[in-house]
Amino acid sequence: MKTLKLILVALAVSFATNVNAQTADELAEMAAEKKAQLSVTADEILNNYFENTGGIDNWNKIEGLKMYAKVNNGGMEIPIEITQLKNGKQMTVINFQGKEIKQGVFNGEVLWSTNFMTQKAEKSDAEATANFKLEANDFPDAFLNYKEKGYTVELLGKEDIEGTETYKIKLVKEPVTVDGIEEENVSFYFFDSENFVPLAVHSEIRQGQAKGMISEVTFSDYQEVGDIYMPFSMTQGIKGQGGQPITMDKIELNPVVDDKAFEFPEEEASKDDGDGNKN
Amino acid sequence: MKKSIFAIFFSILLTPIFTDAQTSANPIKASDLFGDLRARHIGPAVMSGRINDMETHPTNARIIYAGTAGGGVWKSNDAGTTFNPIFDKYCQSIGVVTLDPNDPDNVIYVGTGETWTRNSVSIGDGLYKSTDGGATWNKLGFENSERIANIIVNPNNSNEVYMGVLGALWSDSNERGVYKSTDAGATWEKILYIDETTGAADLAMDPNNPSVLYASMWEFRRTGWSFNSGGDKSALYKSTDSGKTWNKIHNGFPAGKLGRLAIAVAPSDSNVLYTVIEAEEDTKKGLYRSNDAGNSWEQLNNDFGITVRPFYFSRIVVDPRNPDVVVKGGLSGSISRDGGKTFKNLGNMHADIHDVVFDIKDSDRMYVGTDGGVYRSWNGGTTLEIVENLPLSQFYHISVDNEEPYNVYGGLQDNGSWYGPSSAGGGVKASDWVPVGFGDGFRVLRHPTKNIIYSEMQGAENVWRYDADNKLVKTIQPLPQKGYPKLRFNWNAPMATSMHKPDRFYMGSQFVHRSEDMGDTWQIISPDLTTNDPAKQQQEDSGGLSMDNSGAENHTTIFTITESPLDENIIWVGTDDGNVQVSTNGGKSWTNTTPNITGLPANIWVYHIEASVHGKGTAYAVFDGHTKGDMKPYAYKTTDYGKTWKNIISDDVEIFARSIQEDFENEDLLFLGTEFGLYITLDGGASWSKFENNMPAVAVHHVEMHPRTNDIVMGTHGRGVIIIDDVSPLREITAEALSKKVHFFSSKTAVMKDQSGGFGNGFGAETQFVGRNAPSSAQIKYLLPKRHTFGKMTMEIQDMDGNKIVSISPGKSKGINIVNWNYTIKQPKVAKGKTFSFGGFTSPRVQAGTYKAVLTKGKDTFEHTFEVVNDKKTGLSDTAISMKHETTMKMYNMTQDLAYMVYELDAIYESVKDSNKKLASSLNDLKETLVVTTGDNYVGAAEPQLREKMADLYSKIAGSYDKPSAAELESLAVIEDRFNAAKEQFAKLKKKAKVDDLELKTFDDFVNE
Repeated sequence: MKTLKLILVALAVSFATNVNAQTADELAEMAAEKKAQLSVTADEILNNYFENTGGIDNWNKIEGLKMYAKVNNGGMEIPIEITQLKNGKQMTVINFQGKEIKQGVFNGEVLWSTNFMTQKAEKSDAEATANFKLEANDFPDAFLNYKEKGYTVELLGKEDIEGTETYKIKLVKEPVTVDGIEEENVSFYFFDSENFVPLAVHSEIRQGQAKGMISEVTFSDYQEVGDIYMPFSMTQGIKGQGGQPITMDKIELNPVVDDKAFEFPEEEASKDDGDGNKN
Repeated sequence: MKKSIFAIFFSILLTPIFTDAQTSANPIKASDLFGDLRARHIGPAVMSGRINDMETHPTNARIIYAGTAGGGVWKSNDAGTTFNPIFDKYCQSIGVVTLDPNDPDNVIYVGTGETWTRNSVSIGDGLYKSTDGGATWNKLGFENSERIANIIVNPNNSNEVYMGVLGALWSDSNERGVYKSTDAGATWEKILYIDETTGAADLAMDPNNPSVLYASMWEFRRTGWSFNSGGDKSALYKSTDSGKTWNKIHNGFPAGKLGRLAIAVAPSDSNVLYTVIEAEEDTKKGLYRSNDAGNSWEQLNNDFGITVRPFYFSRIVVDPRNPDVVVKGGLSGSISRDGGKTFKNLGNMHADIHDVVFDIKDSDRMYVGTDGGVYRSWNGGTTLEIVENLPLSQFYHISVDNEEPYNVYGGLQDNGSWYGPSSAGGGVKASDWVPVGFGDGFRVLRHPTKNIIYSEMQGAENVWRYDADNKLVKTIQPLPQKGYPKLRFNWNAPMATSMHKPDRFYMGSQFVHRSEDMGDTWQIISPDLTTNDPAKQQQEDSGGLSMDNSGAENHTTIFTITESPLDENIIWVGTDDGNVQVSTNGGKSWTNTTPNITGLPANIWVYHIEASVHGKGTAYAVFDGHTKGDMKPYAYKTTDYGKTWKNIISDDVEIFARSIQEDFENEDLLFLGTEFGLYITLDGGASWSKFENNMPAVAVHHVEMHPRTNDIVMGTHGRGVIIIDDVSPLREITAEALSKKVHFFSSKTAVMKDQSGGFGNGFGAETQFVGRNAPSSAQIKYLLPKRHTFGKMTMEIQDMDGNKIVSISPGKSKGINIVNWNYTIKQPKVAKGKTFSFGGFTSPRVQAGTYKAVLTKGKDTFEHTFEVVNDKKTGLSDTAISMKHETTMKMYNMTQDLAYMVYELDAIYESVKDSNKKLASSLNDLKETLVVTTGDNYVGAAEPQLREKMADLYSKIAGSYDKPSAAELESLAVIEDRFNAAKEQFAKLKKKAKVDDLELKTFDDFVNE
């Protein structure tokens, strides 16, 4: 159960693309040399990505996404639904034995999840919520209009991912706060050098027992959702150690979602207060 | 734009990956084909490994770095509780880790090449820098520096960086001395250089005045047979103008030659300096202090702890808050609290202390780098605790046995001999490793048929024969024999067993010793097979200013012995001075075949000979010239008993090699252990590819292949034992396989194992290294010529009639993909209740038989059949296994039937709850007996109802290795009765409800939704 929760939290995190970067001018000369060999720029790669997958205009038109996915965990198939909206609202709903368990629900202000033991809503800690809020502007893609968000990107070079040549791009987003200390928010995206879609993301895990390890998310099975190509298959895990696959059955564009679904259920929480909290 | 994407898509499909010209004679580069073939690490971390340098973050006390001798750079985010590696792609031998104090979160410099120059020391390959906290690294040159001792960034100016390069240990080199950069490392100027034999051993900056620098220069040299520390050129220098000019500061120093000197400035008082001096006269060695910034020096102490082995222990660290608290590295480590006059040992920990750092805020907290990992102290060094998740063990050799799971045996630098399982319950933990020898460990071999283990310590001072069943130990090393000269054993003396005579045991000195009774009696079966060069036998003179005759420099010895797996009379022997000797008559006569090798430098170390299974006359020899300063790889193959040798190294291999392993089936598939990682060839050595999937660029000292599992098992010198499970797919990678859309690799019969590994032992594992286990699932392996990125790709497991068993997610990598299936079908659909029915999360296993993996990629479908068998270790009859399966599936189906019934009931309830309150109430009453409708999933759980009882019994039966017991069957009967009664009652209520027009999902739709 614990594992499952970790997977889902990680999943939620992975969807919200993250990180930040700082250019190091002291290495400018070497870097420039390296880039000269690349003949493309980070912006060209990103433009190609958006163009090849539907065009910037269509990307900008996306108001929301609802993904119907399955996670297969050691023979246990877990259906999940992930909803993300342009205003930053999002949630992951897992269906277990007919019960809906919500994880990573964000209404723009409050981040909350269902406790697996009590099946009641509990708020995430303030730091996690604040960090989550920073990612509200990353829908549908952190790279979309990244300059307006104050993000920076840097093309670091070419690197092979799953036997395939990619461009490695460093993305730096708003700094996050971890255990009271502000940290840079950096992630590394790997864009296929042939068709410019991202194949993988690497970023340092900032929380929990795996803190300090590098997470790897991979993407494949790009298919059309409306006018946009999106990955229908992902894996998520620790870099170099294989990942947990997540398969999308369907992705719905601009779903109709009741705003209430994102709200923290205050009343329910107070009604049964204290129940199931004995340990 | 839709068009454009399709254009890309189709062009991908149509691009031929390999042209027709591609034939098997041409090289097949494998580097982008390894795919899901990944290394797993099993440690051990119980004794960790050698640490070269520790580094703190100037403002964040949680962050600690360890630069290790052979295991890379590790970073802790939790004040040393746990560490993670951040430098795996690069050279793993680290001299120094330095943060820019002006931007310590981002800017890290790593100087490679360890600087405590013992015989088994690894080498570096230059200077690296990260500007993003270690996520990405750039190399800043100094490829031939071999070892970098210090890097210091001006605390007021990030662009000003100083570097002390110790330089080459084994040869002359001018890439050494003190360097300065004024552009943050992009370009460098050499600002202090003595000569090709003298390097910068230590460098210090006055933290209160960064233009004041101190540098210790050291004249030193090691050969395979000797070591020299000291000379006229060793000296301590000072600069007060940021390195423009340097002056010796020897006022108060002993006369004569000097050896390795350390230098430290007290951070809290720039006038207080400490140095440790290696001098000609023993009475003049030891700790000297200056109270006037180096103008004059006074000797304070020359205790053993201060003067011991200067080449290995030379670090002085001053408490950042108190100039009179001084720590000196050493055999035990020493601490003074009176300004260096007197010292006491640091607390108990692994011997050989190389570096110490004080916490930035609290001097009670210290981090100590030893030959056995990192230790933490909370009380100023009095007691210490080991960091338990640093698997830095430094193996010299490893071997495997044929147990299931097999064990790995090996000896470690300064850390004895061990064996441990390749997989264990809950992962391979510290407690799974068993010590089988003291001192430095080297070769450890399991008797081919008995539970007897041979191990040894340095110079064969002891060779142990350990009866592991009865815990009986006997020393069996060959002893001096009448009529023979003194025996010369290598520090790392060779031993070998025979596949033909299980009790046979070989050892090598300058002679080959053979025993037919497990070491009780010995016979010398060769003449001196070495060059017997007396110039290389003067070990009592080794050490320079400090005699150092540990046995580590013993030379002109036999280093490797191997008996042909095809013929017991064929014995291959390699010596540390360049001879490859072969006997084809069981040792009666020997031929030195080295003169038949062209292109090989004279007298370089024969590190490993592999006698082939593919032909009696076939063998591989790997030569290592690094102790002569030659860093090139040398490996040769013969098929005619050494009459001719063929070079099998290509330009792809970047650094010297020590070990080779052939595949037992495909003669062209070879594995090469090098100083910077593992290389694989698919074409007999025409081309090599570095294997980097979870495989650090660590020195691979020994490679074995397990004959049953086809695992590659590596003994690394810095990252413990690393395994690549089942490399058999590599045998099938050919141009033809790559020309197919999908090539399925042949699969081993999958055994549905029932050993859960007992109860594991997770206690303490939070902060311990735990090695990954081998997979126990069925594995479907296939080759894709190109990564699958666009369109749908799915996989189903089907029975032979094409019925779907389960969907699994296929891999999409170019190259080898491995999909794991744990023999289960989907968990049952469980009735909806207030809480979870935990038993319902159990997925039942399939029956033994033949199954198909059906891969659908776009419009194409590919199939692969494979066998699944039961685990014979359960001792169950086929009837019992069938009965277990049938009972499990009966309960699985019952669980789903109940789920559907509750679904129907809920729907009917909804439709009648307003119109027929009485019926609704009856429905509700029934439901309350079917599923729990109150409580939570923890201690607030409600009394279990039919669903819970059913699912729990189902889970109990499905989860057992055994057939259902009488008690379980009885319980099943009770549940079945109750379910039948409920069904009847529900049928009646359903009839009353008259809801024929109610739209319900079919059972199939319901369970598959």
